[in-house]
Amino acid sequence: MADARGGRAHVTVVLGRELHGEVRLDVDAVVVGTGAGGAMALRELARAGLSVIALEEGGFHQPKDFNQREEQMLAMLFADRGGRVTEDLAIRVLQGRGVGGSTVHNTNLCKRAPSEVLDAWAERHGVEGVRPAELAASYEVVERDLRVSEIPASMVNANNDVLRRGAAALGWRHGPLKHNRVGCQGSGFCELGCVYDAKQNALKVLVPEALAAGGRVYADVEARAIRSAGGRVTGIDAIARDGEGRRIADVTVRARVVVLAASAVGSAALLARSGAPDPYAQVGRRLRMHPGAVVAGTFAGEVAAHLGVPQSWECTELLDFSPGAEQRTWIVPAFAHPIGTAATLPGFGAAHMTAMRGYRHLAVLTAMLHDETEGRVVTGAGGAPVLRYVMSEADRASLARGVVGCARLLFAAGAREVTIPAIPPVVLRDARALEGLDTSFVRPYSVPLSAVHPMGTLRMGRDPRVSVVSSTGEHHHVRGLFVADGSLFPTSLGGPPQLTIYALSHHLSRHYVAAARG
Amino acid sequence: MSLSRRRVLEAFGAALVAGGVGLAFVRSRGYPAVPGPAPSALDRSRYALVRAVAARVCAPDAAGPPSADDVDVAGFVDAYVSKMAGPQRGDLLKFLDFIEQLAPAMTLRAASRFTRLSAGDQDRVLAALEASEVDLLRGGFAGLKALVFMGYYRDPRTWSVLGYEGPSLGRTVPPWPMRVGGVPT
Repeated sequence: MADARGGRAHVTVVLGRELHGEVRLDVDAVVVGTGAGGAMALRELARAGLSVIALEEGGFHQPKDFNQREEQMLAMLFADRGGRVTEDLAIRVLQGRGVGGSTVHNTNLCKRAPSEVLDAWAERHGVEGVRPAELAASYEVVERDLRVSEIPASMVNANNDVLRRGAAALGWRHGPLKHNRVGCQGSGFCELGCVYDAKQNALKVLVPEALAAGGRVYADVEARAIRSAGGRVTGIDAIARDGEGRRIADVTVRARVVVLAASAVGSAALLARSGAPDPYAQVGRRLRMHPGAVVAGTFAGEVAAHLGVPQSWECTELLDFSPGAEQRTWIVPAFAHPIGTAATLPGFGAAHMTAMRGYRHLAVLTAMLHDETEGRVVTGAGGAPVLRYVMSEADRASLARGVVGCARLLFAAGAREVTIPAIPPVVLRDARALEGLDTSFVRPYSVPLSAVHPMGTLRMGRDPRVSVVSSTGEHHHVRGLFVADGSLFPTSLGGPPQLTIYALSHHLSRHYVAAARG
Repeated sequence: MSLSRRRVLEAFGAALVAGGVGLAFVRSRGYPAVPGPAPSALDRSRYALVRAVAARVCAPDAAGPPSADDVDVAGFVDAYVSKMAGPQRGDLLKFLDFIEQLAPAMTLRAASRFTRLSAGDQDRVLAALEASEVDLLRGGFAGLKALVFMGYYRDPRTWSVLGYEGPSLGRTVPPWPMRVGGVPT
């Protein structure tokens, strides 16, 4: 199953199309999902000498499969072919699907969870063992393994430099970000998968290490139900699909331990449709997503924001982690390739095309909300996840402050015009226009909203009445059933979650490894 | 006005049924044949509607850029829709029917299919959807617009409008550690 080539072990991923009829697998542990949390779980279980497999609903795609074409990569790498939205169509939700999960398409931002947030998890939500000092060791492992480093000044592109200059001019809090890239070519296509294999992510680092240690990955195999008996988990029922999505095999996995790591959407939907005990109706509740809105600035000179590392600088001036704070937005650059830009700019027809002609002169920032709205993941037709999320007025107002903040930053950096892509569009030619601006138009449906960080639907905590799993990640009512992804978060994070998902899964591994050993 | 997605889509369907199955049947005739291979997901009327919407959404601002037909936006949308999950595909098809059969009456008080309106009236209908008081219509239009632009800006012939270089492929890709295949026994 493994050989050596080019100094690296070759290992195998099993594809759904290779399976036929009824397949029965008997292992110590099965992991559902292969993103940050799942790949870490797979590796740690395999390294512990346990027999472990991971089931991945999506396909197995390698850098040679990535072609930097939006219309093809969105369909290949994202849930619902890139078309996932909240039930009311108000927020587009971009989530990874396939081996490596969202780490394949994300922009590689690596930031530890704010100490205020982790302390709040301990003090307000009864989570034990996750204070900053307690998570530090796991963060260090992840940062070492994924070769996390500060993005050097030489890799700060013009769009990010706009944010840097704007924040500096305003005297706002700002700074460089860290990432997990090595050998970056600066092509700017991170969100479509890195063809240069520079991302040190779950796909490149953790999954191969897990497979080399004896773990197995089954791609295009969708977990449909968690099986349990007598208060203990017993395994997973799954179906294998061919490359066209047709069901071709039934897969039954018997295992002492099941680790859910299919994202805050997928894990919650799987648990909900499995009918696991949920006496306090907690499964799927408290969905948070960091919904964001963009603001575009037009500059006299060329920005060419699509080239280079997409996100290397942040502004945290408007980010207060106190619960209920008025300022709860994290500001980072957010440029897109042509299709994404066209979908975001307001209007259509000739005027829209004229606006698109300014593509190379646009800088775009996003205000990403550290949200307190409590959405929910439920199941719809065929057990598919349905995302219910109606933004609270407090969150809407905070997002509006962030949008205005983005506009201020763009003007401070020298934008000659700032557009908030509302319907109708709000076009400003001077920062003074922001004084007293009625921002009630900043709301769902009026401005395009997107979210890339679903979290919090199976949250951890001491009290089973308000949480789904304990501080060990184990389900309150089903022994041997663990969660190891962003579903665990009791609150939203206010920053990029991947590092914390990797680290939490690593931190909890001693518990699921011990349970798998029996 | 905020309504649940399901209720509004059901209302679209009910309006189409109660308000004019017979009329819709009569009005379903007269659509041009689809050029090229038969569509996978769109019937003749929906294909014509997508072509008409794409022509307005991607209307060039000057001579030179390709038209939506030049880059076969409708063909792309048809292929995309054919791979959508059932519920989403059903919702989108209902929305297309709504635009064709009901939106002109709501917006212009005109008893006409969308595809038979003048370009100016089609723009008015689409602008009304984009700014509709009914949130779901706004959301539906935004989704359709994104899909149409995906069909348009996917084509390299449109990139010169933006000064977009396109993919940077062509450099050496490092060796990859995993291979596909081989079910373990």
